[in-house]
Amino acid sequence: MMMRIPLYLVIAQWALLGALGILVIVLFRQLGRLLNGTAKAAELGPVTGSRAAALSYVRPGEQAPHQLRPGGGQPLLLAFVDPTCPSCEQLVLTLDQLRAAGELAGTDVLLLISDPVSYLQISDAFSGTGLEIGRPADPAGLEYYRVTATPLLVAVDAAGTVTAAGSAIRSAEVRRYVQACLGTMQAPAAAEAVAMTGEGAA
Amino acid sequence: MPAVLQVAALACKAVIAVLLLAAGGAKLADLPGFASTVRLFVPTPALRSRRASVLLAVGIAAGELVAGAVSLSVPKAGWVNLAVLMICVAFLATWTVGYVRHRGRSCRCFGALSARGFDRAGIARAAALVVAALVATAPVPTRTIELGLGAQLALLAGGALIGCAAFSAARAVGRQPLPRQA
Repeated sequence: MMMRIPLYLVIAQWALLGALGILVIVLFRQLGRLLNGTAKAAELGPVTGSRAAALSYVRPGEQAPHQLRPGGGQPLLLAFVDPTCPSCEQLVLTLDQLRAAGELAGTDVLLLISDPVSYLQISDAFSGTGLEIGRPADPAGLEYYRVTATPLLVAVDAAGTVTAAGSAIRSAEVRRYVQACLGTMQAPAAAEAVAMTGEGAA
Repeated sequence: MPAVLQVAALACKAVIAVLLLAAGGAKLADLPGFASTVRLFVPTPALRSRRASVLLAVGIAAGELVAGAVSLSVPKAGWVNLAVLMICVAFLATWTVGYVRHRGRSCRCFGALSARGFDRAGIARAAALVVAALVATAPVPTRTIELGLGAQLALLAGGALIGCAAFSAARAVGRQPLPRQA
């Protein structure tokens, strides 16, 4: 006697098989990227040792643009972050904690967002931060920073030279960037901080 | 009912169920990311807190998983087709509002697997899902959907596999910095 398989069971099996096939392809593509994807990660952030570009930005609720001119004698931490990016929220919280602990003394910190200013309200981390927030007013200069992904943290020393750039969210990582822009970190250690790009973002 | 229409109705039902399972699993792998998208649509400030938005995100992902699993493994339950139709209508509404208010922002409909922003093509896809869900509500002969317990459990296991695979894939993709929005 031949068993009759319900039509739905046949169709559902094909649907499951198709979905599984697509997911396997996604996993293998990701595996391929992980195995030879270092070139893409290297494109994040400006080149260490180069001179940081000037930027024009607008603070939330203001109209007049401000000028950011690295190299004015003050070390600078530039964080390219967005309220819709969870890792960026983590970075902002970390920066706030370090600021409260006095570890950012002597360093200017600027959070640069690309999301609309109204998005600041959807994030507790961004709406509650005491750090300066700006939105680039002019694309000029932005290309130099190669913000292909967020969060991107850029350490600039008092002379306006980029000393470290990459993705970081944890206190220990961010401290390395602070040390890099204050010039208290030796060059190899700063390079190590840059090499951590990608590890920080979860 | 012609055989072609039966196949169409059942295929729409099965494909949407599998889509829901994959979407739910992938969202669970990137809850903070999906929660930040949820916050874009929450009108009340109290629900925009990190904790509340993550809870909402968990609720949505779990809802998709349950709807997908029940729709896939219990095809005789007609009310599930209506529930799935409502979910698809909610997707269409979300995409339309997203396109109007948050154009270009990532929907994270499949967690980290989907970097697509709210755009017209997304609205068309959501509309196609609604049409498919409508087709899936068409009555079909009972013999085509009468499954034994073994078959139901097998489909449930297959659905669980899809959910887990989507979770793993989204988790793997999610371990990278987020591409900057335009």
